[in-house]
Amino acid sequence: MRKKWLAVLMAVSIFCLMLSGCSPAAGKGDVIKIGEAVALTGDNSAWGQPEKNALEMEIAKINANGGVMGKQLQLIAYDTRGDATEGVNVTKRLISDGVCAIIGPGQSGVAIAMSSVTEPGKVPFIATSATNPKVTVDEKTGQVRKFSFRTCFIDPFQGTVAAQFAAKDLKLKTAAVIYDVGSDYSSWLGKYFIEEFEKQGGKIVANEAFRSGELDFRAVLGKIKETQPEILFIPTMQKEASLIIKQSADLGIKTQYIGGDGWASPDLVTLGGPAVEGSYFVNVASLEDPDIQGFVKEYKEKYKADPVMPNPVMAIDALYAIIDAIKQTNGTDPVKIAEQLEKTKDLQVLSGKLTIDPATHNPLNKPAIIQKVEGGNFILFKKYVTE
Amino acid sequence: MNPPATFFSGFELKSLLGGEPLFIQTLITGLSIGGIYALMAVGYSLVFSILNFSNFAYGSIIMLGAYIAYFSFVKLGMPMGVALVLSILGSAALCLLNERLAYSPLRKRKASALYFMISAMGTSIFLENLVYATIGARFYAFPQEFTGTNFEFMGTSIGMLDLFAIIFAFVAIYGLHYFLQNSRTGIAIRAASYDIQVCELNGVNNTRLIGLVFVLAGGLAGISGMFLGMRYMVYPTMGWITSKAYIAAVIGGLGSLPGAVVGGVILGVLETFVSAYVSSVVRDVFSFSLLVVLLMFMPTGLFGKYLEEKV
Repeated sequence: MRKKWLAVLMAVSIFCLMLSGCSPAAGKGDVIKIGEAVALTGDNSAWGQPEKNALEMEIAKINANGGVMGKQLQLIAYDTRGDATEGVNVTKRLISDGVCAIIGPGQSGVAIAMSSVTEPGKVPFIATSATNPKVTVDEKTGQVRKFSFRTCFIDPFQGTVAAQFAAKDLKLKTAAVIYDVGSDYSSWLGKYFIEEFEKQGGKIVANEAFRSGELDFRAVLGKIKETQPEILFIPTMQKEASLIIKQSADLGIKTQYIGGDGWASPDLVTLGGPAVEGSYFVNVASLEDPDIQGFVKEYKEKYKADPVMPNPVMAIDALYAIIDAIKQTNGTDPVKIAEQLEKTKDLQVLSGKLTIDPATHNPLNKPAIIQKVEGGNFILFKKYVTE
Repeated sequence: MNPPATFFSGFELKSLLGGEPLFIQTLITGLSIGGIYALMAVGYSLVFSILNFSNFAYGSIIMLGAYIAYFSFVKLGMPMGVALVLSILGSAALCLLNERLAYSPLRKRKASALYFMISAMGTSIFLENLVYATIGARFYAFPQEFTGTNFEFMGTSIGMLDLFAIIFAFVAIYGLHYFLQNSRTGIAIRAASYDIQVCELNGVNNTRLIGLVFVLAGGLAGISGMFLGMRYMVYPTMGWITSKAYIAAVIGGLGSLPGAVVGGVILGVLETFVSAYVSSVVRDVFSFSLLVVLLMFMPTGLFGKYLEEKV
């Protein structure tokens, strides 16, 4: 009997929710609804949960300070389970709930699927950690998706950061690249590095590919040794990177090793040993980032755990971009918000300054983190903003 | 800045004509890889010569050998020699167990070689997943202080580990060869490799003989597992590298021990030269093309026996 009542109650409340969601006056009430499509269960929940926590914490803070334009913010978060189909369902629900914009998802596959709903539905989403270029640009037409945005940089951009850092900060002139031909991540990172390093006046002395699953790199490294590069750029995951660095040291190659965020696992040190000491790699975000210390402290106090990077920071960046668009357009019309998001320029957000590239909807010159392996640990060497 | 095309052609030319250190370095690397291929190929060939099937579970035994070596050397802090002995004994025991549980029942039912092969693949997948489920998918590496000692030789750098691996591989193979040529059991094994039934008619206990062959193959698996683990790293799917050893065994002629050694060295050196002078991306294209072409002209490999003799 009790169950029955509960069911009726739920049906009524869902009906009410739907009514309020469908009404065009969604923004005219006392609350501004912001949606979040996030993986709260499944493999990606390790990032999804902290992302939601961080947004709730930040929104509570904003509401306590009077909200936005006198209205309270309301976060509606639904679980995508990191699954594309579920992501589409969740997005449909969020749109019918009447949200003015959606934060998330974190996965490129989910984001690409979601755009099939957000484009006709005309509600913008800002992906947090979806790094595939196809998320914001339609592969077939080459046109930017009007309602797809992101606050993280695309993977290959790390190659640009690494090249500028190597040429300008380390003042090194020659570089060799060794990349995994079977991985998009690795090949694109290598390509962007080469383009930027040559633009900075550097010289690429060797560009060698290997096949995924390779264990022995000594033949190729022997060839690279002959060219005596000042830098060896290794855009791979930690397993290959540590093997390459170890074998390179075995061959007596003396060079500066640089990599991307694929390195960011403690395994790099346990597998690579002392040979990886002194290497640099580009990362998306870091807990030690001086700009986010206030946030990290608050988060730790509230949830008794570290926020798992980079999703919480990227989500808060997205939140501020949406709030800015609401203020600029003086309303919560999703279409106007999308148009305004495209114009975002030098907006102060949590991780630094945010500028959206109208041509790609990717952040322009988004700050990156340069980490260094020192004493077997990853330390924050520098926060790096490209030019 | 030079246009890249000019630069690269100049670079190729230099390394092909005047680049002595690269040539020697490549040769040494090739020999060290070839030595490990040879060791694994001998293990394959040993089993093939008696039972006439490809023991695909061998890669997993090598993988377990590497785990035994890693845990006894790094986690339990045993001396390197003890770890090697434990790895040899452990792999030998596992290899024997593999035979007794997976192949022996088939042998008693006189199943065809195909069923042995399927059973071997099943064992391989089982062992791999067993490691995933118990130890996990993590990568383990031996400490660098031990594996990373080098010395300079004619402008090239040679790892102590490689030198040790080459020497040890060939000593082990030679020891096995000596045993097969000179001991009574060795003679029985060689006889069985020609005709196991006639061998039994002449009073050889085949069950014991086959057990011994698996113990020998397992011992070699322990050695190769430890070297592979030290050279690269230890992880559940590392056994797949034995597909190369299998090719080496086929090139040399399945069932022939000298063939396995020659095949291993040829494959290792060839692959390294292709990687260094052409591109490591096409390396496997070369090694597998070599296999196909060789089998077209010499279906039994370099030292293989006639196929008819076995069927």
